[in-house]
Amino acid sequence: MAPATQFEVAQPPNDAISSLVFSNDSSHRLLVSSWDKHVYLYEIVDEQANLINKYEHRAPVLDACFGANNNEAFTAGVDQQVKRCVLNRPHNRRANPPKQALLPRPLRSLLPHPLPPHLRLLGLHPPHPPPLLPRLPPLVIPLPGKPHALSSSPTKLVVAMTARLVHIYDLPTLASATTPPPPWQTRESSLKFLTRAVACMPNDAGYATSSIEGRVAVEWFEDTPESQARKYAFKCHRQAAPEEEGGGDIVYPVNALAFHPVYGTFASGGGDGTVALWDAEAKRRMRQYQKFSEAVAAMGFSGDGKYLAIGVCPGFETGMEDYTGGLGRTRVFVRELGETEAKGKGAK
Amino acid sequence: MGKKKRGHPDVEELLARPWCYYCERDFEDLKLLISHQKAKHFKCERCGKRLNTAGGLSVHMNQVHKENLTSVENALANRQGLDIEIFGMEGVPEDIIQQHNQRIIQNFYTAQAERQAATGNPPRGLSGGQGPTKKIKIETPEEIKKRLAEHRAKVAAQKEAAANGTPLPVPAPANGPSPSQVASPFPPPQPSFPYPAGAPTYPPVAYPPGPAPGAFGNLPARPPSGGPIPSALPQRPSYPYPGGVAPLGFPGAPTADELMANAGRGPGGDDIDQLIRMAEAGIKPAKNGEETLAPTTEKKKKGMRMVYDDTEVSPEEKMALLPRYRWVEDAAA
Repeated sequence: MAPATQFEVAQPPNDAISSLVFSNDSSHRLLVSSWDKHVYLYEIVDEQANLINKYEHRAPVLDACFGANNNEAFTAGVDQQVKRCVLNRPHNRRANPPKQALLPRPLRSLLPHPLPPHLRLLGLHPPHPPPLLPRLPPLVIPLPGKPHALSSSPTKLVVAMTARLVHIYDLPTLASATTPPPPWQTRESSLKFLTRAVACMPNDAGYATSSIEGRVAVEWFEDTPESQARKYAFKCHRQAAPEEEGGGDIVYPVNALAFHPVYGTFASGGGDGTVALWDAEAKRRMRQYQKFSEAVAAMGFSGDGKYLAIGVCPGFETGMEDYTGGLGRTRVFVRELGETEAKGKGAK
Repeated sequence: MGKKKRGHPDVEELLARPWCYYCERDFEDLKLLISHQKAKHFKCERCGKRLNTAGGLSVHMNQVHKENLTSVENALANRQGLDIEIFGMEGVPEDIIQQHNQRIIQNFYTAQAERQAATGNPPRGLSGGQGPTKKIKIETPEEIKKRLAEHRAKVAAQKEAAANGTPLPVPAPANGPSPSQVASPFPPPQPSFPYPAGAPTYPPVAYPPGPAPGAFGNLPARPPSGGPIPSALPQRPSYPYPGGVAPLGFPGAPTADELMANAGRGPGGDDIDQLIRMAEAGIKPAKNGEETLAPTTEKKKKGMRMVYDDTEVSPEEKMALLPRYRWVEDAAA
């Protein structure tokens, strides 16, 4: 893969990766949250990704995202807390959920939760926050099922839950609501199995979901028969099992989805350790990269679409009661994309 | 003879197909191969220009984009080198060609054996109108009785052997290789497990005792048509192939297949290629809508194995309950 280069991040996390996200601007900062109770901040300079800092948490971290700017991050952990990190002041952390912030991307609120499932929206704003953020109390929206994945586009928020429930919320409606509004749309997932990841198209037209059963579905928001007829699903991240094991397919979960911010194509990363680039419009696979040594856990494009970061670590598979994460096996790769590498050919 | 069976090209035809050094895919003709190479392996990532060779691409990258090409794209792991100049089928090293042919031959015979097992038909040419195979044999009642006695003795011997747990000695092949098999310049690979030679209770038919090149020695020869056949078949050894179809093992040097498997092929191009090859060999693979993103047609395939199959609880939830990651409020502070 000559011109497009790929390099590995120095000092990767010590345990499984839970999320990975680039900053929205073009500064190429990369935030990685890990089960080793840390959040790592890297910066890409000259084909090198260096660790700027890491931030200790009291529990494994499930998700992280940047806040209103590059120096602010929000993290969510197994301890059911959302924290705000001020990134240029490494050890100054607030332990309380922030009262105000634009979350450029929703955090997975989740996990073995004693309370009924709900979605907690912390001070949402319309895009492009004003310098002075109005204070809003968190809006708590009850959910009918456990949320497994969420993603937001400029105006929509997609929540995928157990029992194949999908709720789509309208962000402007949510931002102005004082009582929990009903979902903008309620859908049933196009995938039969547990949803693993959701990603919204950057052009606000639709979203992609993936499941534990090696499948990805692409759907559009617009609720017209024409738009709905366009939705489709396809198989991926599977391997033919060797004949000795009875043949058939080994089916891996599709752990990560990420849309390219410029071209609108998307990447999928699976438990089989491969990453594929897809053209959602043309329904074509554009590329498939060399297999990684471990499962792909998380992926993200940089804000300008120049880089694709890929977090790999041993995948959690059925029956792994002794899962020990990935000390030494967790790695983060950054791929510098060629100019047209992620550009689709358009619908045919 | 000479009648071509549709869908099952013979091994010479398969071997004559041009194929791509970089990805082992084969093509109908050289033109297609060359256009494949230009599109998949010699295409410039920066500007999309399609060059004729890897060297050409390297020069192009150097001069136009001031970059260095280090490897051939979309190539198998051990075939990415720029040192070999490939154009179509030109420039492929001899040993690689040998390896490729080996693989094709092996796949061919595996597929043939599977077809045979699935359809019960003999391989082409075996029961053809030629040769002594067709001669109708008329047995006198004495001969039949004698055969029955022989058969009984044999079954008893087998049972005993099975009870003792000693493997049956493989009887020497009663029949020489059939004419058509000898005629093939590409002997099938040696099976690595001992097939219990089947039904050699028949008096050897008058095959020309051709030079047995070790090939097919252990394969059960098809008994001549007519006569009481099935009961005489010995029980199969318990090898774990549910369909009763065993792939012919091929010990020894890594085959191109293994190399390909190691080349990190995921679901995708290489699988597709494999599918194409299988389709050509006449095997109907389970439908797999990979490349064309077909609309979901949910059909649970047999033999499908999901590495994570809990449809209610996510991996994260399970991980969070492991002692290693569990969060206990008291432990805080």
